[in-house]
Amino acid sequence: MAESAYGLIARFETADDLLAAVKALRADGMLGIQAYSPYPVAGLADELDAGSRGVALWSLISATLAGIATYVMQWYAAVIDYPYVVGGKPLNAWPAFIPPTVSMVLLFAVLGAVIGMAVGNRLPQPYHPAFNVDEFAHASDDGFFLLVTHSAQGDDNHSELGKRLHDLKATSIVEVPR
Amino acid sequence: MVGKSEVLRGHDMHWIRIDRYFEGQPEAPSMIFQPVTCMHCENAPCEYVCPFAATQHSAEGLNEMIYNRCVGTRYCSQNCPYKVRRFNWFTYTDKDAPHSTPPPAHNPDVTVRSGGVMEKCTYCVQRINAVKIAAARTDEPNNGRIADGAIVTACQQACPTDAIVFGDVADETTRVSREKASPLDYDLLGDLNTRPRTSYKAAVRNPNPAIGSPDAPYVEKGRVKG
Amino acid sequence: MSRAEPDRERLLPATLTHGGATRWISGLITDKPAPLSWFVIFAVCSVLLVVFLVSLTYLFSVGVGIFGINIPVAWGLPITNTIWWIGIAHAGTLISAVLLLTRQDWRASINRFAEAMAMFAIVCAGLYPLIHLGRPSFWYYLLPYPNTMGLWPQWRSPLVWDFFAITMYLLFTMSFMYLSLLPDLATLRDRAKSRLGQVSYGLLALAWRGDAAHWARYQRATLILAGCAAPIVCVVTGIVSTDLAVSIVPGYHFTIFPPYFVAGALFSGFATVALLAVVLRWMFSLQAIVTRIHLDYIGRMMLVFAMIVDYAYTQEMFTAWYSGEDHYRYVYIDRIWEGAYAPVWWTMIALNVGVAQLLWFKGIRRNPVALLLIAIAVDIGMWLERFQIVFTSTHADYMPSNWDVVWPTAWDWAVYAGSLGLFGFLLMVFLRVMPMVSLHDMRELIARKGAGSGHG
Repeated sequence: MAESAYGLIARFETADDLLAAVKALRADGMLGIQAYSPYPVAGLADELDAGSRGVALWSLISATLAGIATYVMQWYAAVIDYPYVVGGKPLNAWPAFIPPTVSMVLLFAVLGAVIGMAVGNRLPQPYHPAFNVDEFAHASDDGFFLLVTHSAQGDDNHSELGKRLHDLKATSIVEVPR
Repeated sequence: MVGKSEVLRGHDMHWIRIDRYFEGQPEAPSMIFQPVTCMHCENAPCEYVCPFAATQHSAEGLNEMIYNRCVGTRYCSQNCPYKVRRFNWFTYTDKDAPHSTPPPAHNPDVTVRSGGVMEKCTYCVQRINAVKIAAARTDEPNNGRIADGAIVTACQQACPTDAIVFGDVADETTRVSREKASPLDYDLLGDLNTRPRTSYKAAVRNPNPAIGSPDAPYVEKGRVKG
Repeated sequence: MSRAEPDRERLLPATLTHGGATRWISGLITDKPAPLSWFVIFAVCSVLLVVFLVSLTYLFSVGVGIFGINIPVAWGLPITNTIWWIGIAHAGTLISAVLLLTRQDWRASINRFAEAMAMFAIVCAGLYPLIHLGRPSFWYYLLPYPNTMGLWPQWRSPLVWDFFAITMYLLFTMSFMYLSLLPDLATLRDRAKSRLGQVSYGLLALAWRGDAAHWARYQRATLILAGCAAPIVCVVTGIVSTDLAVSIVPGYHFTIFPPYFVAGALFSGFATVALLAVVLRWMFSLQAIVTRIHLDYIGRMMLVFAMIVDYAYTQEMFTAWYSGEDHYRYVYIDRIWEGAYAPVWWTMIALNVGVAQLLWFKGIRRNPVALLLIAIAVDIGMWLERFQIVFTSTHADYMPSNWDVVWPTAWDWAVYAGSLGLFGFLLMVFLRVMPMVSLHDMRELIARKGAGSGHG
């Protein structure tokens, strides 16, 4: 076993097997586990304590700022910067300021969520050692993978982990080069 | 000029039109007519729908059309209940246009409009400004007021019966203010609350039935402007 | 076929596995050439696209007078078509989003092409306001900054609100589409055979690897976008309808317009989804995953919105009568029997009220040919509705001296046909480069109901 390996990756046939394996390893106290699936498996993220609140926060903050900015921009333009009379309407036409403000709130809620997801996931991250494993291409197809990083294994014997994974119904276990 | 085929399509460009209403027998109808121009409404429905602020209300009460800001959405025309606004559907003033007026025939005081912009009656703003500039240049103290009757709009000048009156409605002594104070004064489509500055004066006729036939044509309305 | 027992009818084949779905759907792009029908449709749309470009070139060089518009009917087909195209886009958004929030399983196989439909319909809808402008090169005066002469846009105008709303809707749909595609782009990256394919899909896929933690944020983002989608649908068509509702023109000035237009948009939108569902399942042999159950449900959605639209018709007329206002009452007298456009109104009623009633029958909803014909009828009927609202209201408004009758010109039709060509062209290209069924949504469905669930 090479010390320079990034870790060990195991493939499972079904989502339930992957979930059970992750639960078992977490119960053992193992850290540094990464799980991969071609669709979001229910309960998997919770097992790994993967948070996602940052996305909602990005969304909320960007929506609020955009709303305030849009309203203030309209008010400033109509009342301070270049006031003029149209149709006898007041300068501070707050009912008219509402539709663009609502549009921008919704737009930036959406953009904030997407950016929050990308930032939280650190995407794009073009290089990840898992891509060095050919079989990993199935992660976007029909395979369910579990990756334990070398550092997380500590001084544990690599082959012990391999046996453990085999007992948990992994169908193939491969070393991940850096 | 836009030419006959364009006028037939409804692309005519008259800034003033005469609406005619017929009544009575088809063989000998009587006619009522009413000249209609831009009303320069205080609550102009055309102004607040322009997305580019190309039509605004001046402090003097004119509904101003800003040709170089107009991008041609035609929302103002849609919202005008009097439909007094006209649009340059093509570049009628281009020298290659089919019925283009030769440049020497253009009025030098009036902006030439390009294709894609709205235009309408301006209360002869070029005449208003000419008088104001001349008055500002003299040394006579006039407290910023122009003498009543100094500004004469083109339609007022053309009218042989002096049926159009133009002036300052903020000054109660002007002729137009006195005419508007008449109980016969009314606004066209006034219930829409557009508050038009151009109002009309109803003419009351009471023909003696003993003279002439009841079907004789008669004129009912004159109008007053301010 | 309607004799099949309901609990044995499936939304997808019982034997479909994750791998099977991947091979099938991505294989339509990577492994097989396009069917002949695709080439025929692509050719027709390409010709129409050329017509579009030629017409626009002529329009921008000569002026907007080539269309059938004048004073008083200053808004004609371009505005009609803006509203029609925006309406079609909305069902795509609703399927992607609201059906997600309500956890409807039948969403999984249809949401991808519904989103694509929404995307390309918005492109067409966004072009039309430019087409309708008298001086389109000055469109940038709408941008919210102090431009020429220090003037900002005039905020009280619904057309300014439109600019914000349509821009927002375009960017929202692009974001939702991209988010939805992201995991599938990873699939295509991993399955692409050519270097170009691998690099292109790879770049777009942002190195997605299916990490469970990433999925968690992905689902949260999707949920937020889905939650925003319903308000967005209401806000966008609501604002577009205020172009008419804020005006004082008698046939335009109704407070019912925002919800009425939203219902109408969803009605025509679901009709277009039905149309695409029938056509695509036939072209690409997707009957096993775009099933008659899907057609049934899409038909039901069409029916719901048809009922709302039909109710709105009655309320329009009631409100006009109840107002006591002569001008408002006359709008309906003109539309229904006195005016020159009355045949348009009656055709609209025949299609949107009459033909739509056929959707009450399950057998008709489940029959692809019948649903296709009804969908086309509804699309036409809703187009006629936009037409008659836009044209009849100003053709006979306050002052009889202004009344006139205008009909669209050949150039109006050329540009409209061209926009249909643009839509079809973009859709056909999309079908050849992106999976037309959402793979990750199908996998979730398979996990719940198919063979890939690991239950044996």
